[in-house]
Amino acid sequence: MILTVKNMTACYGRTEILKDISLEIRSGEKVFIGGANGSGKTTLLRVLAGIIPHRGEVLINGSDVSAMKRKAVAGLIALMPQTSEMYFPYTVYETVLLGTYASSGNPFFGSNAKDAEYAVRCMKDCGVYDLRDRHLDELSGGQLQRVLLARTFAQKAPFLFLDEPGNNLDIKYRAELCDRLNDWTCAQTGGTDNTLVAVFHDLEQARRCCRRAVMLKDGRIVFDGDINEALTRDMLLKVYDYDVSSYIMDKS
Amino acid sequence: MTKKSTGLKIALSAVLCLFILVIAIRAGSVYISLRDLLGIIGGHITGRGTPADIDPMMDSIFWTIRMPRAVMAFLVGGALSVSGACMQALLQNPLASSYTLGVSSGASLGAAIVLILNISIPVLAGFMLPFAGFVFGLATVIIAILLASSIDRNVSSATVVLIGMILSLFVNGMMNLLSTLNADHSKQLILWMMGSFSARGWKHCAILFPVCIAGFVCLMLMSRKLDIMSFGDLQARAMGVDAKKTKIIAILICSLLTGVSVAFTGVIGFVDLAAPHVVRKIFGPSHRLVLPMSFIYGGAFMALCDLVSRTLLSPREIPVGAVTALIGAPFFAYVFFASRRKHI
Repeated sequence: MILTVKNMTACYGRTEILKDISLEIRSGEKVFIGGANGSGKTTLLRVLAGIIPHRGEVLINGSDVSAMKRKAVAGLIALMPQTSEMYFPYTVYETVLLGTYASSGNPFFGSNAKDAEYAVRCMKDCGVYDLRDRHLDELSGGQLQRVLLARTFAQKAPFLFLDEPGNNLDIKYRAELCDRLNDWTCAQTGGTDNTLVAVFHDLEQARRCCRRAVMLKDGRIVFDGDINEALTRDMLLKVYDYDVSSYIMDKS
Repeated sequence: MTKKSTGLKIALSAVLCLFILVIAIRAGSVYISLRDLLGIIGGHITGRGTPADIDPMMDSIFWTIRMPRAVMAFLVGGALSVSGACMQALLQNPLASSYTLGVSSGASLGAAIVLILNISIPVLAGFMLPFAGFVFGLATVIIAILLASSIDRNVSSATVVLIGMILSLFVNGMMNLLSTLNADHSKQLILWMMGSFSARGWKHCAILFPVCIAGFVCLMLMSRKLDIMSFGDLQARAMGVDAKKTKIIAILICSLLTGVSVAFTGVIGFVDLAAPHVVRKIFGPSHRLVLPMSFIYGGAFMALCDLVSRTLLSPREIPVGAVTALIGAPFFAYVFFASRRKHI
């Protein structure tokens, strides 16, 4: 599978958020999307997942993402949004099971035994199986984050797009997240076929989870290449307009 | 919630609903024994006619007046509640209802125009008022959707709610202006707007019943999508649901259900808000249960309110819309505060 972006521009109202973006993401890549607040990271993820409109080309295996059916896109790309609005108190199990919608053969009523089995596996993988009968409004921020990750896994999509998956997670789960993401991609296709595109605020976590970095500044790509080259003092200074390197180095 | 306890709750709810329906039919100025009631129903359904030992007067009261009225109340209550539940999920707003998009104000304006201009179309005979109400109600919703999608290509929930409110207020204003300028009709109009099941017969049920079944089945087929939609448009799209298309289709189905109900009975509020809320407390938020249970609870509640409306100040009738609010508001407040207190 290949995701191709050519001269893509995206706006909110009249404000251009992403300007003339071109990039290519192939199966098996682990891509970090970096940049300061407001640089367009979240917008980029959403455009790539076909959720918000854009100008220019965004193609999945050659097909225009905005012309594809939502369900077909969600079967290929599972996006875990950063905002997690909860209006009704579904249980953890019900929530994760809803993730199987895109891949389920039964779009109408509930789900079949296979979906249920898969949802259980995803809950176990994300460490929320013990919470399965709890309601979403009874969970802590970190627990909710893990439930949403399990729901994203349940989509069975080969492309995993995660928008700050480390939010609200304590140090144990942050460390575990990288292992989970690596295990997961291997377990699903039995190879390196699965793809991760993720926004992290924690650059150390990004380094552990990803190999390639796409750095954004004011809506433009300023770097695309090996993550170790991206996380250098000069590049970080360029992207963040502030010397953050000592902060990361100390941490590592 | 285990499967067993859910099954028990569903069974108890069904029994309770049947019990309320039977009471709603039997109670009133003339009482009937259960045996005679079953005799009348059996006689009509099998086509053998009423058993000889039952007074034909009783047969006429129960078969042609009470039963269709109770069935009508049940169907209207059910239809309004199901569309309320659906709209709340679609717009992720617990205060949304099938009236949010202006179905009721549109319908009221239609009724006002028919009453004031004294329009009649021979083919529609006695159905002129409901027909106009339905057409205007649905037209208002379609205008609301068109407006919402023209200014916001994603048709986000906030836009829909705001447009609905603006349009409702505007149409209400037009209707108030019309009724003030034509004071002769204003009493008739006010009564229509408060809702009533008086003099509703099988011919009305015959139209409402298939609409209810069709609307309900369509929404049930969308139940999983509605579950996903209730996480908000962004998450719904990420999970593979075309939020805009789903929203428009479901809103049109809800408006159809509400429009036909309002057209026959006038505007009856509150049940669409309260029934789904109570049902979610008992059965959880999954629409596979919320939709059918909202129908049952809303229908039973409406049948009960109609009973109160025709018996409390008998022989005078209280508008059923007033009863739903008078009984429903304190009950709803109790349910809401009881659950809130638990969290503190």
